[in-house]
Amino acid sequence: MKNIILSSLILLFSANTFVVAETLPKGIIRMDAREAPALVLNDMDGNQFDLSKLKGHWVFVHFWASWCGPCRKEMPTIQATLHDYQDSRLKFAVVNTAETEDAVFSFLGSIASDIVPLMDTDGLVTERWQPRGLPSTFLVDPEGKLRYQALGGRAWNKGIYKKFLNQFK
Amino acid sequence: MTISLFKKRYFYSTCSIGDIVLRLLALLVLLLLLLPATPLMAAENKKDVYEDEDIYLRFIYRSAEQVAAFYEGRGFPKAAIARAVQSCYVTVILKNKSDDLLWFELDNWLFHKNGKMIPRYKQTYWNKQWDEMQLKQAYRSTFGWTLFPETRDARPGESVSGNITLPMQMHPFSLTLNFARDENKKGKMKTVQLNDIYCKDAVQK
Repeated sequence: MKNIILSSLILLFSANTFVVAETLPKGIIRMDAREAPALVLNDMDGNQFDLSKLKGHWVFVHFWASWCGPCRKEMPTIQATLHDYQDSRLKFAVVNTAETEDAVFSFLGSIASDIVPLMDTDGLVTERWQPRGLPSTFLVDPEGKLRYQALGGRAWNKGIYKKFLNQFK
Repeated sequence: MTISLFKKRYFYSTCSIGDIVLRLLALLVLLLLLLPATPLMAAENKKDVYEDEDIYLRFIYRSAEQVAAFYEGRGFPKAAIARAVQSCYVTVILKNKSDDLLWFELDNWLFHKNGKMIPRYKQTYWNKQWDEMQLKQAYRSTFGWTLFPETRDARPGESVSGNITLPMQMHPFSLTLNFARDENKKGKMKTVQLNDIYCKDAVQK
């Protein structure tokens, strides 16, 4: 009888642990772990970024444009997150979709001036990734597979979203 | 509590009426600057809302002037803007309030008047327009992202927004929206019937 109770408690405990680990914050969905599309772009300073060279790291891949309202709200939270994770294993790729350097510069200058975005100047890289809309964020695992996607903008530097990102540090 | 009372007392004891009016004006300007922007930045538009237990829908009717200003602001060539403003633009904001997956296919959103269907301008129509004028890929991409997706699912709690484009209509018309439900689209079809959809500027009620 003692053994049965003990086993049940262990089962209950492990089931709870599993549920907690599998629970995602609102607006984050699990993906099918397919290979992430290629992402090779220059940033605004002319430095090349290649996602394939970041194997072994989780990568936060974010698509945005200055004309989208939610992007304006979300971008400062991404800047704050970038600061928090500067020396961590989580890497960032913040991709502007199909805009000019002038448009990007004046937008970021007013709300998130520390971000140096990757420039998808013709928008074709964004289209290959097929985000559900703008803004959109993907989390790519250390093997280069798509693991999670955020639906719309999220306050990445706060509460459950910060906690969610902390596991990839 | 002590701190907030102290602040209140301090505020009233050091400000004249003029100061208070000025501060309120400054606050108002600040609040206006902080207002979230919708894709086409037009807070003055009349907004039409439909809401039930499953879905929230908001329609924002765009004038040719607003459409032109938006694409001008993104650096679009004049010829592309001239072509774009010949159409009717309705921005749709949809939120799935239900606990199920909702599927939308714009081909199942039927625009009609007096029993006659109004054909929607699909992405393929715009591709043809832009091919004809050899519009740069960057502008095509931006224009595409401002359109409502042709077909997709909306997860519980998810919002989707974008423009639906139609031939200009002089009179209000109706819209029947059909949504499939569940992961495999086998749930009960949801239908919403809306009247008095219109094209801003062109409409003669």
